[in-house]
Amino acid sequence: MSKTTIAGREVRSLSREKTIVLALLIQVVIAGFSSFLVVGLTSLYEPGAAADDIVVGVTGEEAEALSAAAGDVEGLEVRRYDDRDAARAAFDANRVQATAHAERVGERTTVDVEAPQASVRKTFIVVQVRAVLEALERSERADRAAFRSTDPLSIPPSVDASPYFGFSYTVLVPLLVFLPVFIAGAVVVDSLTEEVERGTLTLLRVTPASLLDVVDGKAGVMAALTPIQVALWLVLLSINDIAVANVAPILAITTALGALAVAVAAGLAIAVPVRQRAQLSYSLGMLAAFTAAALLPEHPATTVARFAIDSPTLVTYAHLAGYVAASVAAVVALRRWIRGVDAEALG
Amino acid sequence: MRPRTLLRIARWESTKGLGGIDRGAVAVAVAAVAFVLAVGAVAVTGGVALEDGIYRVGVSEDAAYHDPVAADPTFAAVDTDGRNVDTGPPTPAGDGGVAIGGFRGDGRIDLYVEERAGRTEIYVAFFDGEPTEKGLAALAALRTSVGRYNDALMRAEDNRTAAFPVTVSIRFLDRSGTVAAETPGDGGGGRSGSAVDGGNGGADAAGGIGDGATGTGESGGMGGDTAVDAASFGAFDLFGTSSTTGSPSDIRPPFPFQSLVLAFLFVLPLNFLIQAYGSSMLSERLNRRGELLLVAPVGRGEIVVGKTLPYLAAALGITAAIVGGLWLLGSGGGPLSVLAVVPLALLFFGTTFLAAMFARSFKELTFLTVTISTLLTTYAFVPAIFAETSQVAFVSPLTLVIMDLTHAEVSAGEIAFSLGPATLVAVICFSLGFGIYREEDLFTQRPVHLKTLDALASRIHRPRSVALVVALLVPFVFVAELLAVAVLFALPVTFSIPLIFGTIAVIEELAKGIPIYAGYVHARYGRTLAVAAAVGSASGIGFFLAEKMTLAIQFVGLPGLAVADAAFQTGLGAGDPAIVALLVLAPLALHVVTATLTAIGASRGRRLFGIGLGAAILVHLAYNVAVVSTVV
Repeated sequence: MSKTTIAGREVRSLSREKTIVLALLIQVVIAGFSSFLVVGLTSLYEPGAAADDIVVGVTGEEAEALSAAAGDVEGLEVRRYDDRDAARAAFDANRVQATAHAERVGERTTVDVEAPQASVRKTFIVVQVRAVLEALERSERADRAAFRSTDPLSIPPSVDASPYFGFSYTVLVPLLVFLPVFIAGAVVVDSLTEEVERGTLTLLRVTPASLLDVVDGKAGVMAALTPIQVALWLVLLSINDIAVANVAPILAITTALGALAVAVAAGLAIAVPVRQRAQLSYSLGMLAAFTAAALLPEHPATTVARFAIDSPTLVTYAHLAGYVAASVAAVVALRRWIRGVDAEALG
Repeated sequence: MRPRTLLRIARWESTKGLGGIDRGAVAVAVAAVAFVLAVGAVAVTGGVALEDGIYRVGVSEDAAYHDPVAADPTFAAVDTDGRNVDTGPPTPAGDGGVAIGGFRGDGRIDLYVEERAGRTEIYVAFFDGEPTEKGLAALAALRTSVGRYNDALMRAEDNRTAAFPVTVSIRFLDRSGTVAAETPGDGGGGRSGSAVDGGNGGADAAGGIGDGATGTGESGGMGGDTAVDAASFGAFDLFGTSSTTGSPSDIRPPFPFQSLVLAFLFVLPLNFLIQAYGSSMLSERLNRRGELLLVAPVGRGEIVVGKTLPYLAAALGITAAIVGGLWLLGSGGGPLSVLAVVPLALLFFGTTFLAAMFARSFKELTFLTVTISTLLTTYAFVPAIFAETSQVAFVSPLTLVIMDLTHAEVSAGEIAFSLGPATLVAVICFSLGFGIYREEDLFTQRPVHLKTLDALASRIHRPRSVALVVALLVPFVFVAELLAVAVLFALPVTFSIPLIFGTIAVIEELAKGIPIYAGYVHARYGRTLAVAAAVGSASGIGFFLAEKMTLAIQFVGLPGLAVADAAFQTGLGAGDPAIVALLVLAPLALHVVTATLTAIGASRGRRLFGIGLGAAILVHLAYNVAVVSTVV
């Protein structure tokens, strides 16, 4: 019995248990969930998402300046009121969504804003009011230029850019790359510890297959499945109009990290052939590694994001090379170590 | 259930691997310590910046925007000196001194900034005559970045009033005019709760506003200083309790970020615990290991509860530690937070227990636990995001935690509404799994569908007990129907409405029919026509009552929520008793008739069960269509 036979059995058992289908389903749910989250939350902020304009009731001696500043902000109108009571009455009657009372105190303009507590549009209202106040601040700063040693820079114009652009590349793509990597290792832990715990490893041992063949076959399948899953996601993303650049480097990084995770998992499963312990150490260890990777010059997620968005630098490629080297080293070390492990002692 | 036996099993479970320091325990400990150290190290060095260097900007040394671009890690500054960038004519834009144009994109840079004729010219990469999406996104990011840079510049100014000429305070009010929560505008280290009633935090905040309103130039200067301090650690404002300062750019929109952080903090440990719990439960099933306990003089209930207790205790211990830690950091958490996590933990353990009873191998269990983690985290997570905006948030127990931590008042009704459904579903999962915690199912590789029938049949003893089993399935029916609506929602109405009707008919008839069939397979009742009618009626009545009861719970738990009103508009407000009776009795008759159809089929064997179920689905569908076409 050779490695390929073991690998073939592994694939058959995965497909028979429909676990691969479940894995893809999980990834779809996670990706869909995070997209839903971002689209939903962004709609709280985006002027385009709101059905009609926000009306702000303004009062006080500086109301004129506030009205002028509001002219630049889209999706917001101001209405003047004579005093705060009138504005408050309009607020209570829902004729205005927020009130702002602006007056001069000392050398400053002080604005008291009142926004509704219970409103789904609360966030949006505050964002819009903030835009007005920032415009007011810019014009007031310009008036006081003589009293300062430095001047603020002019602000670039606001453009109609997709608010999800950065998210797609910095969160969604890395998520879809790292989930298959993580799951591959978890499956290897299960697959090896199960043979030991059920006592079926002994049966495999009476065949001509060595322990190394068993590990090679089982781990190799999962390592090979990782880039295939990621390739599938990249195709799906491009169908959804999210063009991913540098597909080859992304698949290379997936393969390298997948092999690394699988090697670590196989090593753990052989060293600690009890599923509960091995699986816990694996998932905690992976989380630790993923977190600690932030200490690298570039986090692996950032490396993937930079490749996907087509902004790779030399540093990015250096990281890719580093991961490839690390995974080769890990696989070689694992195989050498397993050759010396006494399979009898595993039970 | 005897407490002594229970505790003994719990002790066995928790000390199982502690006989000596074995390699496994060391590996877990090492990994856990590594994780904690990694989180600590990364928190100290400033977290993960995913967006680092995603936009490439060509900007010359002398350009005004060189410093903000260099200061913001989102941009990778590319040296364009000596290169020829093919720009088009710029047009003035923004607030003076800025012009904007396009250049032919060559895949090297996304934005190009140049200082020409005393103004800053920004060029966006064009491809095929259109600005690239990435270029526009980079420009939007540059706008935010320059704003931030300006604020940093102004903070270094000596003349505070000229640097920050506008101070703001925001108050959140209910429409009636009562102050709901305040954010102090200036000075004052006052802590404003985002609490519904303000609490004592609100009083402090009012003092802060008083300072700001009567403030002279000097107190304004203090405000500016606070801004510098706030900016240094303002990125991690967990409870929104630290005061935002006067400048407009310091206004933080009520984005529920703290809810997200908290949700993770409370849900993450549960994900690890269910992994250990699932492993332990499944490994009982390997090599007949669990048989020793089964033949021992202890009840099955004692075994399951005893084996679950240590994990539940660990979950509560971790939660209590988190709440305690947050309390030391200045939050208002207390026993309610811990109490709110109980049903969530039960839900995690209940579903994992069921999964471990069904899984055929470790691999399958891994996928099942990951699915459980994902789905339950979503369930706990998404509603809690809206903790401050909508009552719907109380669907998730985590909302209670967030309310408790932020000093908010919650009513007993809200607590019940939040904890009730989760606990109920957890109990149902445990009882279904408990049904197959027996020799025949534990140690054999029975196909999943047979196991499902076993789990259901274990609660059926006579025709009327079908009613209870069907009623227990109703929460799952609602979840499945919600999922169907969520999935089909995106399709055009002409397709989605018939599809939703069809799906709902299938789901509801399956929920009523499968327990009936399970009872027949396990020969719980005779195969006569009269018994079939009795079983069918029991199933129909059970479903009807459970469905109406859930609606009643929603109605009680969410008064004033428009969605609940809409869901409950079953015509009870119509006034005419005949109409009310008709609207109540028609669904009851439908459920009884369709369930009886299925039961008659099921009593004649597997194939006729399928035919009976199909007929029931068709009748249900016809009824739905008829009702909608007469009502609408």
